[in-house]
Amino acid sequence: MTTLMKLPGKFKLGTPKPVEAGQPVDLSLADDETLVARVQHGDASAFDFLVQRYKERLYATVYHMTSNHEDANDLVQEALIKAYKSIGSFKRESSFYTWVYRIAVNRTINHLKRRKNKNHFSLDDIDSHIQSDPDFVELMSHVTPRREVGLTELQEKLNEALQKLSEPHRAVVVMHDVQGMTHADIAKVMKCSEGTVRSRLFYARQQLQGILTDYL
Amino acid sequence: MNCSKAQRLVQDFADGRLTDGLARELQRHVTDCSDCRVAQQRATRLQQLFALKRHEHAGAHYFDNFLDNFHRRLALETAPRPTLWERMLGALHIQNVPSLRYGFANAFGVVLACGMVLRGLISMDLGSAVARTDALNFGASQVQTAPHSQPPRIASILPRTPGPASTAGSGALIIPIAARGEPSTPRYVLDRISLSPASYEVASIHF
Repeated sequence: MTTLMKLPGKFKLGTPKPVEAGQPVDLSLADDETLVARVQHGDASAFDFLVQRYKERLYATVYHMTSNHEDANDLVQEALIKAYKSIGSFKRESSFYTWVYRIAVNRTINHLKRRKNKNHFSLDDIDSHIQSDPDFVELMSHVTPRREVGLTELQEKLNEALQKLSEPHRAVVVMHDVQGMTHADIAKVMKCSEGTVRSRLFYARQQLQGILTDYL
Repeated sequence: MNCSKAQRLVQDFADGRLTDGLARELQRHVTDCSDCRVAQQRATRLQQLFALKRHEHAGAHYFDNFLDNFHRRLALETAPRPTLWERMLGALHIQNVPSLRYGFANAFGVVLACGMVLRGLISMDLGSAVARTDALNFGASQVQTAPHSQPPRIASILPRTPGPASTAGSGALIIPIAARGEPSTPRYVLDRISLSPASYEVASIHF
């Protein structure tokens, strides 16, 4: 694994876990806190394990918000770079994942605001396991003539509908309905109250139902 | 349970977050109310539709180079930014930087010095022109008494007697009044004035 370059900034954190120098440690099994402590003490290679651990989950969230896998890749890279540069200021008030997730979501929201009305979809493939997903099976059991559409078209319509939501509403729907995060976790990421999360979720779903009325 | 409350609860029901009691109450309501039943079905099917999103995945080898790309971008972002000078030299593909730097500094110094000298000359010239203009505003007599003022050159450009219009050298068109058919002693009017120093000189004589 390639080693990262020297960390920028200063590192003044409270009570990091002791890092045993000179002792070989299998960092792939280490928890986030240990890895973060190592990075903050100058072991930049420990950040690689954090990248490997969270890249796919971060990518999934950003992808669902952008509906574009190139943008998603870029934004995740940017978010991880930002996290690496600012890890010295990470106070461990939340988990590393929540922190980096917040960076990624905020970056994505800013990106979407800049890219307003310039939607370009490049969609990921749907895996074959969907055929055995009970939700999907149930959905497809209610086939009506107007809903006899292919999986790809359905995917496109759903992504289009999501892109019509405002960025904060889209973020909440993606985190809750797609990623399965709790209201409390979403509130931490979005830095808002759980009530705001519920209200955004309610409003976003109402909008989606209106847009996707032919497919429900 | 009324419809308003039922429609607020259908989303929580679709999420499976309602207590058993509330869920039973909602179910009782939707069996009797077609609007709320439709709302509940839509909420449930929207959740089922999200299954599509949950099964969207990047290709199998999509993340193969992710870490390498991350390192590359990080190296680019943390590398010190080149100065304006370095970027300029880079754009010009210049290798011998120190000698060019001295050359550029010398050339810049010479241009600066020339500029200062030129500016001094211009300001001197403008100063005398302003002095002349100010004097003109006060009248010809003051011009004649000013120690550094030039003697008016109007004599060289005006005809001695009323005659055809003259524009000799000054940029001013001087028309003898007699030429316009008015009986009078020889007098002249300044018909047009241009923004050259000569114009000021023409105007210095009051006709």
